[in-house]
Amino acid sequence: MVSKKEFKRLEEYLWEIPQDHRSDMRVPARIYADDALLEAALQDRSIEQLINTACLPGVVKYAVAMPDIHQGYGPPIGGVAAMDVKDGVISPGAVGYDINCGVRLLRSNIEADQLKPLMDELMASLYNQVPSGVGKGGDIRLSGRDMDNVLEKGSAWAVAEGYGTKDDLEHCEERGGLAAAKASAVSTKAKKRGSNQLGTLGAGNHFVEIGEVVEVYDQDTAEQFGIFLGQAVLWVHSGSRGLGHQVCSEYVRKLQSAVVKYGIRLPDRELVCAPVDSPEGREYMAAMAGAANYAWANRQLLMHRARQVLQEVLAPRFKNISFELVYDIAHNIAKVEEFVINGSPTKVVVHRKGATRSFGPGNPVLPEDYREVGQPVLVPGDMGTASYLLVGTNEATEKSFASTCHGAGRVMSRRAATRKMRGEEVRRRLEAQGITVRGPWKGLAEEAPHAYKDIDRVVNVVHKAGLARKVARMVPLGVMKG
Amino acid sequence: MTPRFEQLDHTADLALRIYGRDLRELFASAAYAMFSQLAEVAGLDHTIERIVRVRGTDCESLLVNWLNELLYLHETEGEVYSAFRIDELSSDCLAATVHGAPCEEIYTIIKAATYHNLTIDKSGEGFVATVVFDV
Repeated sequence: MVSKKEFKRLEEYLWEIPQDHRSDMRVPARIYADDALLEAALQDRSIEQLINTACLPGVVKYAVAMPDIHQGYGPPIGGVAAMDVKDGVISPGAVGYDINCGVRLLRSNIEADQLKPLMDELMASLYNQVPSGVGKGGDIRLSGRDMDNVLEKGSAWAVAEGYGTKDDLEHCEERGGLAAAKASAVSTKAKKRGSNQLGTLGAGNHFVEIGEVVEVYDQDTAEQFGIFLGQAVLWVHSGSRGLGHQVCSEYVRKLQSAVVKYGIRLPDRELVCAPVDSPEGREYMAAMAGAANYAWANRQLLMHRARQVLQEVLAPRFKNISFELVYDIAHNIAKVEEFVINGSPTKVVVHRKGATRSFGPGNPVLPEDYREVGQPVLVPGDMGTASYLLVGTNEATEKSFASTCHGAGRVMSRRAATRKMRGEEVRRRLEAQGITVRGPWKGLAEEAPHAYKDIDRVVNVVHKAGLARKVARMVPLGVMKG
Repeated sequence: MTPRFEQLDHTADLALRIYGRDLRELFASAAYAMFSQLAEVAGLDHTIERIVRVRGTDCESLLVNWLNELLYLHETEGEVYSAFRIDELSSDCLAATVHGAPCEEIYTIIKAATYHNLTIDKSGEGFVATVVFDV
């Protein structure tokens, strides 16, 4: 196990394990944290996993961990690693099984206070009408051709089918679709696994949440994002479901032999990878992008259904109710981006596993209405505390490959959380705080607020370290778990 | 024979330690242990029979591929399994007959069995494996 004294403190919130810590490291390993969060990270094997990530071929500058880092499999969750496209590798384990797990935030034109008396009805309607897909499929069945279109077009497929608007696409990372996707790289088995799960939420930490904006830190940026104090907002958190899990499992299996073929030595078998510029690497990139597109289409459908449900309940009571997409971001993905490495612009594959892209003001890929202020960064918290809207910075480009944190980060295993408090008790406590909760007991127990790190502390670190800036804080009024 | 296994603490995921008097029993116990985390398997009817065949490059990859193939069947067929007979087991191939029933209610979704910290060791009384699942 690594100890705190092995770190060099480079800045108040930045710590480094030097490259000479272990002979197989190719670059240093860095973590953004305060003292308490670093000590929390040292309680499990997440730092060791970060060091392992710093050993991958072609990794540039440093492997970076966010303050919400926790132990995963292969690389840690909350880890970022960039590999040179010329001599580096791409690794399915550094993306994760839930490819393009991500989150979207919607703004309403109504005050949260107006919704508070209706929360029971709203959450019951959402729970009844937004399919969780746990143990059963959703209500959309995809034909073979539809599936190929979902995989290659992502959210644009959903919008073309009538599930949403063109404006929704403008407000998604990558406009809700990666062009690198090839349906032919996704196996028949993966397609079968995904064929009846599109538009379903899934289990674990996935949720639909109605929240309230309780604090605005940066009025101008909040206005640009259409956010105001006291506003009701909607969050949707989901990913690529069984299709993404199947793609990752299959490529972790397939690349076991690529590692032998290309003579790559690994400290952990779950880090299997292939050169970016190899048939195996290109095939994984095309399949991973397909699964990412499935996830974007999935969140688009979930959002569309949730909007319909909210309209049905609210339209008879309020005039011209609207829920518009602020932004949608991925937090488990690998993408080709360009950064300056050793003084020259270099194309790298940035793996973000439990980390969010954080582009600053002026970036040409941002939608026009946000380009001046920067990219909205969405950081959902646990069921009982808070979530944050941040904005990307140009400092993050240099510091963390334009990445920041993605959530609170688990601190307690699901088993320990369930042992500590039963689902019924979790729900009773949340309802005593005024939060309406719908979901299976076991899921509620596993996702209880005490299983997570303190989100305020995590966000404070990325704000002070310059990886993103605080714009607004939101608290949950109603949560639906899958 | 009751499958023997225990759950270990792992921050993000689910980790199981599984025991078997021989490798065949270890593989069967691992499958039972996994499904017991997903659904109520005690007293499950055995109305469905499926034949499963997977390949691997070594014992570890066979175990991961076997568990992931069962997760695939569970999700695509909407079934849960609780009886596993390993018919063939070599260094690169496993064939089994599994029994179960249509899925009524499940507790959670297991995304995959992973290679992370995966171990299969010979112990005094047989074999012991540790498998980390992404949930």
